[in-house]
Amino acid sequence: MENDGRRKFLGVCLAGATAAAAAAAAYPVFRYLAPRSDQQGSNKLEFAASDLPEGEAKFFEYAGSSAVLVKTKAGELVALSAVCTHLGCIVQWEKDKQDFLCPCHAGRYSPDGAVLSGPPPRPLAKIPVTSANGKITVG
Amino acid sequence: MTYLRQLRRSSLRPALGALSLAVLAALAAPQPTHAAAEAPAETVCIQCHGSLPDRLGAPVKLWRTSIHSENGISCNACHGGDPKDAADAMNRSRGFLGAPKEPDIPAFCGRCHPGVLKDYLASAHGRALGKGGPTCVTCHGNHAVLKASLDLINEKSCTRCHSFERARIIKEAMQQTEGHIVGIDRKIKDYQAQGVDTERLGKSLFAVRNRFHTLFHEVNVTKVKAESNDINTELGKLDRDLKVVDEARAKRKVAGACAVAGALVLALLFHLMKKSYD
Amino acid sequence: MALIKRLYDWIDLRIGAREIVKKELTGYLLPRNINEWYSLGSVLLVIFALQVVTGMLLMVYYVPDAEKAFKSVTYIMNELPYGWLIRLCHAVGSNMMVAVLIMHMLSTLFMKSYKSPRELNWVTGFILFTLVQGISLTGYLLPWSQLSFWATTVATNSAAAIPVAGPYLVEFMRGSKLVGPPTLGRFFAMHVAVIPAVIAGLIGAHLFLLKRTGISTPPFGTKEPAATWSPESYRYESHPGGIPFFPNYALQDLTSISVYFAIFLAVVFFAPNLLFTPDAFVPANAFQTPAHIKPEWYFLANYQTLKIFPSELLGLSVQAAAMTFLALLPFIDRSPERNPMKRPVFLVCFVGGFLLWIGLSIWGHYS
Repeated sequence: MENDGRRKFLGVCLAGATAAAAAAAAYPVFRYLAPRSDQQGSNKLEFAASDLPEGEAKFFEYAGSSAVLVKTKAGELVALSAVCTHLGCIVQWEKDKQDFLCPCHAGRYSPDGAVLSGPPPRPLAKIPVTSANGKITVG
Repeated sequence: MTYLRQLRRSSLRPALGALSLAVLAALAAPQPTHAAAEAPAETVCIQCHGSLPDRLGAPVKLWRTSIHSENGISCNACHGGDPKDAADAMNRSRGFLGAPKEPDIPAFCGRCHPGVLKDYLASAHGRALGKGGPTCVTCHGNHAVLKASLDLINEKSCTRCHSFERARIIKEAMQQTEGHIVGIDRKIKDYQAQGVDTERLGKSLFAVRNRFHTLFHEVNVTKVKAESNDINTELGKLDRDLKVVDEARAKRKVAGACAVAGALVLALLFHLMKKSYD
Repeated sequence: MALIKRLYDWIDLRIGAREIVKKELTGYLLPRNINEWYSLGSVLLVIFALQVVTGMLLMVYYVPDAEKAFKSVTYIMNELPYGWLIRLCHAVGSNMMVAVLIMHMLSTLFMKSYKSPRELNWVTGFILFTLVQGISLTGYLLPWSQLSFWATTVATNSAAAIPVAGPYLVEFMRGSKLVGPPTLGRFFAMHVAVIPAVIAGLIGAHLFLLKRTGISTPPFGTKEPAATWSPESYRYESHPGGIPFFPNYALQDLTSISVYFAIFLAVVFFAPNLLFTPDAFVPANAFQTPAHIKPEWYFLANYQTLKIFPSELLGLSVQAAAMTFLALLPFIDRSPERNPMKRPVFLVCFVGGFLLWIGLSIWGHYS
């Protein structure tokens, strides 16, 4: 029957189309569930320890935004995001007060990023930093 | 053709018509506009002065139009005092400062805007403080403080004290950058409304915008032109980041077109298969 | 394929598969004049299945904690590969489910398939309708955005108008006086476990009743008078000489499902913002009410009704009365006549009621 021929053809087309649709649906689900390779931590930055005297801060770019490295008078080494958590201005290091002041709305942070006063809702984000053999490694 | 004939004969048409109207109405309805923020519980300052007449009540109305009001910053933030206790609201021992005298105005605003204070004091305007020069409120107003923009530099305002010549040059040099910033801001807001995580981009733009706006208080033409260049580089970076988002979006649309086409093909095939059995 | 035949034979020997296929698929006969509207039920099944699957996928990364919820959804939308697709399918799908459900309800109403002996089918369907509204309401809160937070506040507030128990009911629903972390906890449990389980159970009941009573005959496009049901003894409504479900109507089901997918995917890829306002992407702030909070489109008529009546209690009562009337319709409308063209009163009420609902929704959108 002519119908039979048509049905077989349509059947093949349908089988193909549904298989394609099933594959198109399964792929995103697989990618969504698959464990992700560690994307952070691949970009590290190095500084010479002599670049950073005590009581001073060094600003640099890290992971696409501003960051700051601080060596407190007590000798502690801290790396922080320099983006103020209030609205996003870059904080400034006040050498005389040994703290961070945001010029936009006077948010104040301690050398380890905690909020001292002003509108910032959260402390400055910490960035991992290590020091060895006269070299400082950030990230 | 049998089901079409059925359709014509049956009374599904009015139902279908009404239903398609419903779907069209739902789809054509425009989106509600972006919501404006309401101020949280009002301070006693506003509660009292809001009902006072003339000079004592005027600041409240002005303040309501301000960007301070939009961000929940009330009278006590600048003037001190207790915002919750009406008895101590204007008590000096509770930090109430009253209205500052003219030479004290920059320091008054500078308590929250230290960066601007620094720039202003270093500029020609700041050096003229107390000698007929402008204070913050000369250009920004005191209670109806609006979001800073280039429009504050205009002929009417500047010619109160001097000619508009240099101000015009500065304004023109900055107009293009300002336009660029406004454009990026709009794009970021559009993307945020579509669910894109714009936090980092938004913060970068805010930082660049503020850096740019400090130039306003500079009033030194050469410095303005030099800084503008740096700022344009930063804006270029933001542009590139946004372009990446654009491209990802375009790819999604292509994939979407394929998906919809695929579904329609499936519908057609199933339909033809069904006809072959009728 | 000899292997497939051998597998089929092996299964048939153990459970009588051939008999089942004959009874439920190829030998299951449907009325000759069946139309496309009858396939909406299977479309709804597919939508529900998709919601469950996308919902489960979202649960892998979503965190139901007030501090973390919004960030987890942002992570899904931006960082996870195809997270945006899963989330949008789930959000668009929920709206589609309500829309298709309304179409299903309207076509059942119009073709009088709620009449005896199908009253229980209508009642289970009506309960399913309210459960779908409930699951939509609870799901709406989970992203913990400004829109979620305040729309839930407005929606739960309406219960306060109930006399005596009202305010306590509101507090019980929310788990605290105002919408907050306790609300998120219970809404999550309801949305993810309680309501889906009840919906699944009721769908089972709905389908069982459907199979047991037999498919109704559409009241048009046929020359023979519709078989009238006599309440003497149970009788399955068979359709001798009718169309087999498999493959004929199964293919119609599949066609409708494919058309649904075309529309659904078009919205997901090209107009997802139809359903999101900018407030949907701002984290919830309990101290800042946005100016234009509105409920989702399917609640706009309820919202507007409450605004019209000066007393909230009156507004609620009117809606409760309307819903009760609709729920008990098979017991109120007992005439055996099913052709709507021969029932002018019904037709006027049907069209009028529908237009009223549309009008109220549009008004609610602009008010």
